[in-house]
Amino acid sequence: MSISGRLSRFARRNSARPEIDARRAGIGILVVFLAPALLIYAGFTIYPVLRTFYNAFHAIKPHGVVEFVGLGNFTALLLADSIFWKAVSNTAIFTIVATIVDVFGGLLLALCLFARAPLAPLLRVVWFTPVLMSYVVVGIVWVWIYDYDWGLANAVLHWLGLGAYEQSWLGHPSTALSSVLVAHVWKWLGFNMIVFLAALHALPAEVLGAAELDNCGWLAKLVYIIIPMLRATIVNLLVLSFIGKMMVFDLIWIMTGGGPLWSTETVSTYVYKRAFEWNTFDLGYPSAIAVLWFIIILAFIAIMTRLLRQRDRLEF
Amino acid sequence: MATQMRLGFAQLRRLPLVLFVVLYSVVSGGPFLWVATMSLRTTAEIFKNPYGVPSPVHWEKFADAWTKSNYSTYFWNSATVVVVAVALVTVIGSMAAHCLARYRFRGNRFVRFLILSGLVLPPQLLILALFQILLDLDLYNTLTGLVIVYVATHIAMTVYILEGFFAQIPQDLFDAARMDGYSDFEIFWRVTMPIGAPAIFTTVTLNFIILWNEFLFAVVLLTDDAKRTLPLGIMHFTGSHQLDVGMVATGLMIAILPIILIYAFFSEAMIKGMTAGAVR
Repeated sequence: MSISGRLSRFARRNSARPEIDARRAGIGILVVFLAPALLIYAGFTIYPVLRTFYNAFHAIKPHGVVEFVGLGNFTALLLADSIFWKAVSNTAIFTIVATIVDVFGGLLLALCLFARAPLAPLLRVVWFTPVLMSYVVVGIVWVWIYDYDWGLANAVLHWLGLGAYEQSWLGHPSTALSSVLVAHVWKWLGFNMIVFLAALHALPAEVLGAAELDNCGWLAKLVYIIIPMLRATIVNLLVLSFIGKMMVFDLIWIMTGGGPLWSTETVSTYVYKRAFEWNTFDLGYPSAIAVLWFIIILAFIAIMTRLLRQRDRLEF
Repeated sequence: MATQMRLGFAQLRRLPLVLFVVLYSVVSGGPFLWVATMSLRTTAEIFKNPYGVPSPVHWEKFADAWTKSNYSTYFWNSATVVVVAVALVTVIGSMAAHCLARYRFRGNRFVRFLILSGLVLPPQLLILALFQILLDLDLYNTLTGLVIVYVATHIAMTVYILEGFFAQIPQDLFDAARMDGYSDFEIFWRVTMPIGAPAIFTTVTLNFIILWNEFLFAVVLLTDDAKRTLPLGIMHFTGSHQLDVGMVATGLMIAILPIILIYAFFSEAMIKGMTAGAVR
């Protein structure tokens, strides 16, 4: 929420006009305005969350068979499920690398346009296009790009004289995860670029001008002036990107389905598989994975915002 | 003379920048161009040379893709679900946002917290239980069920954006409206809605793009071919035409073109919509 919003709210609080108070409403009015949103939200968001938590402590078999297992799902998951740990490590690698590349790659693109590259207004629109495409479209196109026989990736390598590096990018366990990661970054770079560009244009022009008068080089200007002033935006995008990557599902499901040999299995694809693909017919176990992962995501968000904010406080 | 030399030097220094910009433009736009050329060529032509220019241009492939598969069904399913869900979430969300931004009442902060906590809920936490709930309600494998789920899962973001904007509308307008004898509903309809139109337009754009592309809820909650939305349809079409690359490319273009067309006319609005939650 913006400062002006907060200010006007503060002003309102101090100007009490009891005779005509447009900020008061009967309970009936409140119900009419809030009930539709609250009912559908409670029924199809809050209730499912609670039910997932309930499921996590039960074995949910077909035909309404429900069996209380206590922490059994969690102990099985943490102690005896090697695929789960593989999925955790894949998701961790994916999240860390993709978040950093996404955010700082987006910053680099934004700086290019901010430095008045030719055709910048047009490029801003063109570079954003992948953000609007569905994962299905992006996934299929990138599966073709990685195709061994006629894909663009191998064709470019061949053309550059690097034919020795041609390979089946998605078919080999050692390259599959990074290949999907490149496709994911390709889709989201434009998003981070736009957000940074808006933040860059909102920077006070006097400060940048003063730096130029002081004969400050572009690298020094970037490191000492621009990046510190963009800190809030960077933290925001890091957290936003982190949440998205921790839950990555669509693109991986479409491109590799988690394979080959679990090399691209993520926590989300594993949840889906355990619930709907494996013949275990138990919704409790995948619910336990989802609950555990949600708690871990929340914990990391709390840690990230606290760490990055504390440094703020120390500096100023 | 001296200025000319300096200009030349400055331009030379900009060369890496220009090169990088050109390179990234090729990387970000190239794949779309490639799909576009393939959509107008036959599979035989593509396998002979994957990177050729379409000649002759096979426009008829678009008609074939549309008529010889269920593409039109997928397209209209998506259109129906998305239009109904976006309309509902906009009306319901702006009513709730208006109420939270405008009225002082007990529990205001609690309701706000409850709804906005939906911003951090991962879909994976909901999807298994939603599957059970829709089965219980006989809404599994129906477009109605999918619409309800879409509305419920997008209320948080809608209320978040709208409430922030509505709260900035000056209170004087509402006091004046109240003095003129407007009812609560008239105030919502004739003050908040017209003034909040830009923010409402932003949430409509955002929800439209997200839902048009949505995959996870649809893949879990729909099974019939006749009920598939466009993203599921494309997946299915690709699966059943795996070797017919040319036809799949045409199918992809049918999915891409509406978005590109809308984007060409409303690029600023779409960019603003997609980044509304992140820019402040």
